[in-house]
Amino acid sequence: MTKREGLEVSIAVADAAMLSDVDVVSAYPITPQTHIVEHLAELVANGELKAAYIPVESEHSAMSACLGASAIGARTFTATASQGLELMHEVLYVASAMRFPIVMAVANRALSAPISIWGDHSDVMATRDVGWIQIFVENGQEAVDNVICAFRMGEDKRVLLPVMIHLDGFVLTHVIEPIELPDKKDVDRFLPPFKYPLPLDPEKPVTMGAFGQPFIYTEVKWAQEINLEKSKDVILEVWQEFGKAFGRQYSPIEQYQTDGAKVLLLTMGSYSETAMVAVDKMRNDGKEVGLLKLRLWRPFPYEELRESIKSAEILIVLDRAISFGGPGGPVCSEVKAALYGGEKQPKVVGFVGGLGGRDITMSGFEEMINRGIEIARTGSKREFEIYGVRE
Amino acid sequence: MTKSKLTEIRWHGRGGQGAVTSAELVAQAAIGEGKYAQAFPSFSPERRGAPVMAFNRINPDEPIRTRAEVDQPDVVLIMDPNLLSILDATSGLKEGGTVIINTKKSVEQVRKDFGISARLALVDANTIAQETLGVLIVNTTMIGAMIKATGVISSESIKEPFEKRFGRLAERNIKALERAVEETKIGEWLEMAKAKTKEKPGTKGELSWKEIEIGCFITKPGNSVEIKTGDWKSRRPEFDFDKCNKCTLCYFFCPEGCIAKTKDGYFEADLFYCKGCGICATECPKDAITMVEEAK
Ligand code: SF4
Ligand code: SF4
Repeated sequence: MTKREGLEVSIAVADAAMLSDVDVVSAYPITPQTHIVEHLAELVANGELKAAYIPVESEHSAMSACLGASAIGARTFTATASQGLELMHEVLYVASAMRFPIVMAVANRALSAPISIWGDHSDVMATRDVGWIQIFVENGQEAVDNVICAFRMGEDKRVLLPVMIHLDGFVLTHVIEPIELPDKKDVDRFLPPFKYPLPLDPEKPVTMGAFGQPFIYTEVKWAQEINLEKSKDVILEVWQEFGKAFGRQYSPIEQYQTDGAKVLLLTMGSYSETAMVAVDKMRNDGKEVGLLKLRLWRPFPYEELRESIKSAEILIVLDRAISFGGPGGPVCSEVKAALYGGEKQPKVVGFVGGLGGRDITMSGFEEMINRGIEIARTGSKREFEIYGVRE
Repeated sequence: MTKSKLTEIRWHGRGGQGAVTSAELVAQAAIGEGKYAQAFPSFSPERRGAPVMAFNRINPDEPIRTRAEVDQPDVVLIMDPNLLSILDATSGLKEGGTVIINTKKSVEQVRKDFGISARLALVDANTIAQETLGVLIVNTTMIGAMIKATGVISSESIKEPFEKRFGRLAERNIKALERAVEETKIGEWLEMAKAKTKEKPGTKGELSWKEIEIGCFITKPGNSVEIKTGDWKSRRPEFDFDKCNKCTLCYFFCPEGCIAKTKDGYFEADLFYCKGCGICATECPKDAITMVEEAK
């Protein structure tokens, strides 16, 4: 029987990687990811984790080293944040296109300038289209569980894709909270050893990353897209198995207090927890308000989204990033696109907020929901509004 | 539908032969005449000797919008006769279209050897280029053959682009072009000839997206041995064993690694891979290697 311990979430994430028996870790430290990779370095140095730790000179090199490690069939883990994720950018595409199931924890943080070490989702959104499976977690337990699940999802022969686990910088990474670390034996049973089907092997040579001329490139990209779309079935399967084995169940869009809710708020990551408290309060006050927590960002869960808004009249979407000069928040514009043309569409209202570590309090969420309802009824002069900006 | 005055041209040459330059010069001449025209290469890795394509579109009255490669040409130019054995010159050729070939052969012979019943324009561009320019660069000569066969631009309007491009050498190139205009033989479109549709992609056994290996990996490495790089050559080395002293220099210098020792200790090139670069002939201390033109 495992028990809950008071752990810093970063430390727990590193422990989850260790429980998953990673073979190779390559990373470059960046706030607020630092504690994750420092702890892994410690575990390797003191012999608790039998893995190769490759220190590198940049995130670009970290991801490149991960490619090589994964190519020989090693279970590979890394972590980064913010500018570090952007510096890896071009290599991220290679990882997904070459189908290497690297797992990466991203300690979500704002992008410069001005320099901000605090959390938002600008870094994730800039890597939206890189072809990775992307999952948001909202507390330390979910981070641990999903790191373990990520290896099993990515390494499944039907999938073979890299996975990003997004956890908010500081608000999650640096918080000490009760976390239950699964037993090693149970993790071993849940997560079979990694067997990459076509590893680099001198006995059986293969060419990886060859030239793709116009006659083949379209076919390769389509195969990649279909593969990522289909990975959803495996993701659901893995979450289900995990639920059976460990008693904690995850799904692409989690619904909270949605029964009979005419107004829904959609959030991602750790802010969902504060939002739940706000929803509870509004429910107590007799308002028909509910919450959707978008956990699976890629592949985008179309069916689940359409299913979950069926009885809603208003859907308020909170983005923690701006698509500058565009439709506002990237999540809101995707939600709108997913619902467009559907039989019963709620009015969708977009907010951007929580940028660069700006807190949104319980009463803040309440205020945002009320303003969202007002916009839905009377309209707004803007495509989207920003929450909490000083005039 | 009104008949389009658009002329679409496809050039087939080898890297280094000037197919792209030819297309550019033709477009400049047409634009100089006040027409609308475009020229562009088939974008691919540059390799001297490898088959390359270039394209022209010329319209006297209207701007050209299409930017795709020409797959239904009115005119096809074959700058190197050896290309005829590795590609289908008439692929996609429009009804009444013309195939212009650099060859010493007669119209009858070309029809017989390559089964081309389309309209033909033949010119011995190698001889003209060699005699007029002193080098085997046939692009300007081929433009002459095209002017004769199609009249799509005039011999006058090409002069300015030639002068800009070739400077002092323009005069000789104009002479080569004018000789080609005179010497090009025309064989008219035969009754039996039909316009050909271009093969759709995927019809030549190319992979569907479902057949692609994980990550587009190649599980049969070393498959470059199947690629006949020998198709790239326009000249091939001939080895004279009487002169050879078995020094092995050719063996070491061949960039293709295609020279091997014979049973008797002499050296010889594997013409399946030999690209015809001539390095072996240059390096041979006994002049035992002569580069001869690939005649087909
Ligand atoms: S010409 Fe000579 S050196 Fe060049 S590829 Fe052929 S054999 Fe080799
Ligand atoms: S370089 Fe000339 S002499 Fe030497 S081995 Fe080759 S062919 Fe013979």
